[in-house]
Amino acid sequence: MTGVYRIAGHDIAIESNYETVQLLCEDYRTDAEPELTLSVSTEELTEILRKARENYPELPDSEFLPPDYLELAVIYKRLAERTPFWDTVMLHGSAVAVDGACYVFCAKSGTGKSTHARLWRQLLGERAVMVNDDKPMVHIRPDGSAEVYGTPWDGKHRLNTNTHVPLRAICILERSEENTIRPITKSEAWPMLLQQFYRPYDAEAMEKTMDLIGRLQTSFYRLGCNMELEAAELSYQTMKG
Amino acid sequence: MRLRKNYIARTSGNETLLVPAGGSEFAGMVRGNRTLGAILELLRQDTTEEQIVEAMKKRFDAPEERIAADVKKALAELRTIGAIDG
Repeated sequence: MTGVYRIAGHDIAIESNYETVQLLCEDYRTDAEPELTLSVSTEELTEILRKARENYPELPDSEFLPPDYLELAVIYKRLAERTPFWDTVMLHGSAVAVDGACYVFCAKSGTGKSTHARLWRQLLGERAVMVNDDKPMVHIRPDGSAEVYGTPWDGKHRLNTNTHVPLRAICILERSEENTIRPITKSEAWPMLLQQFYRPYDAEAMEKTMDLIGRLQTSFYRLGCNMELEAAELSYQTMKG
Repeated sequence: MRLRKNYIARTSGNETLLVPAGGSEFAGMVRGNRTLGAILELLRQDTTEEQIVEAMKKRFDAPEERIAADVKKALAELRTIGAIDG
């Protein structure tokens, strides 16, 4: 089955074996003529799963993605390999928009970026819009300013909005008993950025990704936070400026 | 020897970064100064340790032993992370 979706400003046909992919992309559907077609064959999916099982023989079957979600993940990877040529990169993070400005929280998996984004929703109510809770896309203009796009790849809580919002800040989040926040330089943010932006396998796409991150101009912060509402109050009040 | 194609280097100001493309065994990044940047630039083409030292001598005003030691150390680190072919 095939659907055409407008993702990060580009019209993309997705040919899938499973309906799940089409259903999860539904909010992005368009009638436009696609400029790119993405697909994955059942043979490729079988092979990817076989290799994963070979690499992790100790894991039970329940730990591997079911075929429909695996298909969605492979489509994501294939798209992320192409977007750098559209000056757009996939970022692993939780993106929240408030009053027309987007704030992206990045952290190692399991640190609590989704939890912190939830605290923002608790603090700000409907003013806080989840652009994407896991893998938003960031379009970086020639002047370094950036726009954050929602995508269908939104993590386990299924939080995404088909919207795009100017990037205000990227916040690196760490767990801490006390809540603290400070602005950091881009140089200090580099290691985390390079871990959280999608790294293409293709060398040319990787070069492009480095150039794009290199020209990105935004504010960077390091937040040490617990899971109390005051953590959200501190980060929001500091970053909104 | 030369830098593997899937390792991308960028120098900005006095800082040089080297990052592999996705799928590489080494998933981190290397940060260094302009000297590392110059070595990586030379490694974009097939070269030898001696040739790198010679080229660096022309570029940097430092004693030869110091340059040779810096180059040796940098190359050893790059080999450790699998960034060099040959």
